[in-house]
Amino acid sequence: MEVALIGNPNTGKTSLFNNLTGSYEYVGNWSGVTVEKKVGLFKNNIGRLIDLPGVYTLNPLSKDEGVVTSFFLNDSVDKLLNILDASQLERNLHLTIQLLEYGRPLFIGLNMMDVAENRGIHIDVKMLSALLGVTIVPVVARSGKGCEELIQAIDTPTIEGSGKNLIYYGKEIEEAISMVEKEIHGNTKHSLRWLALQWFEGNQYVNEYLLKIAHREKLESIRHTLEIKIKQQKKGKSLASFIYLKRKEAIGKILDEAVRKSDATTPLTEKVDAIVTNRFLGMPIFLLLMYCMFMLTFDWLGTPLSDGLDHILTGPITDGFEKILSNIGASEFIHALIIHGLVAGVGGVLVFVPQIFILFFFISLLEDSGYMARVALVMDRIMESVGLNGKAFIPMMIGFGCNVPGIMAARTIETPRERLLTILLTPLMSCSARLPVYALFVGGFFIGHKALIVLSLYVLGIVVALILAKVFSSTLLKSEASLFVIELPPYRMPQFQSLWRSTWDKGKGFIRKAGTFIFAGSVFIWLLSYAGPDGLKVNMDKSYLAAIGNSIAPLLKPIGFGTWQAAASLITGFLAKESIISTMNIIYFVPKGESLQGLLAHYYTPLAAYSFMVFILLYIPCLATTATIYKETGSKKWTSFAILYALVIAYILSFVIYQGGRLFGLV
Amino acid sequence: MVSQLKVGEKGKIVDISHVGHLVQRRLLDLGFTEGTEVCVKCVMPFGGPIMIESCGQCIGIRRKEADRIEVERL
Repeated sequence: MEVALIGNPNTGKTSLFNNLTGSYEYVGNWSGVTVEKKVGLFKNNIGRLIDLPGVYTLNPLSKDEGVVTSFFLNDSVDKLLNILDASQLERNLHLTIQLLEYGRPLFIGLNMMDVAENRGIHIDVKMLSALLGVTIVPVVARSGKGCEELIQAIDTPTIEGSGKNLIYYGKEIEEAISMVEKEIHGNTKHSLRWLALQWFEGNQYVNEYLLKIAHREKLESIRHTLEIKIKQQKKGKSLASFIYLKRKEAIGKILDEAVRKSDATTPLTEKVDAIVTNRFLGMPIFLLLMYCMFMLTFDWLGTPLSDGLDHILTGPITDGFEKILSNIGASEFIHALIIHGLVAGVGGVLVFVPQIFILFFFISLLEDSGYMARVALVMDRIMESVGLNGKAFIPMMIGFGCNVPGIMAARTIETPRERLLTILLTPLMSCSARLPVYALFVGGFFIGHKALIVLSLYVLGIVVALILAKVFSSTLLKSEASLFVIELPPYRMPQFQSLWRSTWDKGKGFIRKAGTFIFAGSVFIWLLSYAGPDGLKVNMDKSYLAAIGNSIAPLLKPIGFGTWQAAASLITGFLAKESIISTMNIIYFVPKGESLQGLLAHYYTPLAAYSFMVFILLYIPCLATTATIYKETGSKKWTSFAILYALVIAYILSFVIYQGGRLFGLV
Repeated sequence: MVSQLKVGEKGKIVDISHVGHLVQRRLLDLGFTEGTEVCVKCVMPFGGPIMIESCGQCIGIRRKEADRIEVERL
């Protein structure tokens, strides 16, 4: 049995999904955190549950919402599970009505009854259930209370489509529905009434679907006649808004019977909002939070942890490997491969696991608490001035963790132009994989100002993105259409368990990459540095790797790091940014008792080090990001554009920083 | 106009038909339509967005859209 989970954004849908399926997905709080279709097994194996993106209606505005509509049109599903926010029943029921018209057996999980009670909304669940003709189970999605009952309800056999005709839309529309039904009868397995109504509302996806199975002219003449009738009778109301009002009226009647209202208390959310979205304090508070996040990640907490891990890796673990290898009498080649290739390469990346987990923890915290949507609101004015909207800031913030989910999160942006722009610019956000490179260099060159230097790189990424947004939106991607309406969900106290699991979900990708990509890359790089035109075990300066690096190095000289080592590590950086570190650990092979950071001082000046970090920040989206850009834009042209503009910008900026710095006498 | 309400003031939406088509659709989705009572919660500086609330639901909209939503002060 296949069950689809559907509901408005911010109703606790993803939490409910996790509690029903046992397997954990990602829980967030800003509109549209579920950007992909996710499937899980029900806890007691009654079937599979499909998690759909949150939508307000089946008539989509954004691509994200389109996922739901095309799922309803093209996939088959046995039952529907609709989650409702009890405190926003009226708005939630608009979707429920469309689901009832779709005609598959429907079940309702009524969430946030406690929030509703606090607002003075008392719901008679039995009455509501009777009025809608649907089984309703009150649940607490966050704790999982009521989930057992809900699963039981879903598991009992039901009669199909009892609520298709819940709303009577008036004589004109009902007649037109029957006419459309006659046209498409027998050509589809979907509810004819649902198709007709969605089509009247102007649903583009349904329009395309209907054109495939029926005569265009006949259908359009039916709608045209209907539109004229409605316009004449209802003082110029459009067909879509007439349908909306009919639904609203019916919902109003249902709520009058099933809901009782009393006095409410002022929610805490409004008090908090008075501060964090305050006219003057909003922006400073945001910057202060960012500053604390970076200090914790790089100075206060992250660095001591990383250093500790580094000591363990270079000390006991390397010694352990050495002992094992000499005990089993491994050949010199194997010995060198493991110690100089794998332990140096993979270990050099693993050292940064604590810092990356701290960063992901904060990103999860921002998402789960509901602050992310406020950030979008606070940032909208700035984003609007460069041709984007505040919502574009959310993919960018997520891009700080990893560019791939950031780019996918851009699906919630409604207008195609703003979405494309966001996709192109999100790779400029400094992702966690670039962080090890900064951590290495600031540790070696800028000991006194670690967090500040790293913060400057993050800010530089944002500033470059904003400037380019302005440039692109006034040249390549001109258009007036912009849409910014954002739902601000109430603050919710994040639960530690949920935070930890979503941190883990994001962070485990980093560890997995270290075990696969970086592992294989390390072996490959080490081999290239071990072998040369003169055979194996050559001096590294005469290896193949040096030869490749040397061919590019002259190009890099004007920006401060014209060594073959830098060039070679930049090439591997395209595979994954953190492999820059593993490559460096291999090619600057570090003697015992010294650190890579100390060694780098022989190759870089502080100015060159900063220029190098800026280049790393901007120069190219990694392989996985490039693939995602291609998947999301569906265009080779834009994908190559994303790579090329990044290379150009990185080179120009590094050049300006390095040469400009030298002019001012910096070294 | 919504944008003329001060923070904390309440109004009842009279007409949203002058708002852009897409924004209008989204406002309907969120339950903001003719007859809805709204309260301005906060106004961002430099012509930034406005946060309005109705029945415990907060949304943010741009100033220029707020200029086109007609309200009756309550």
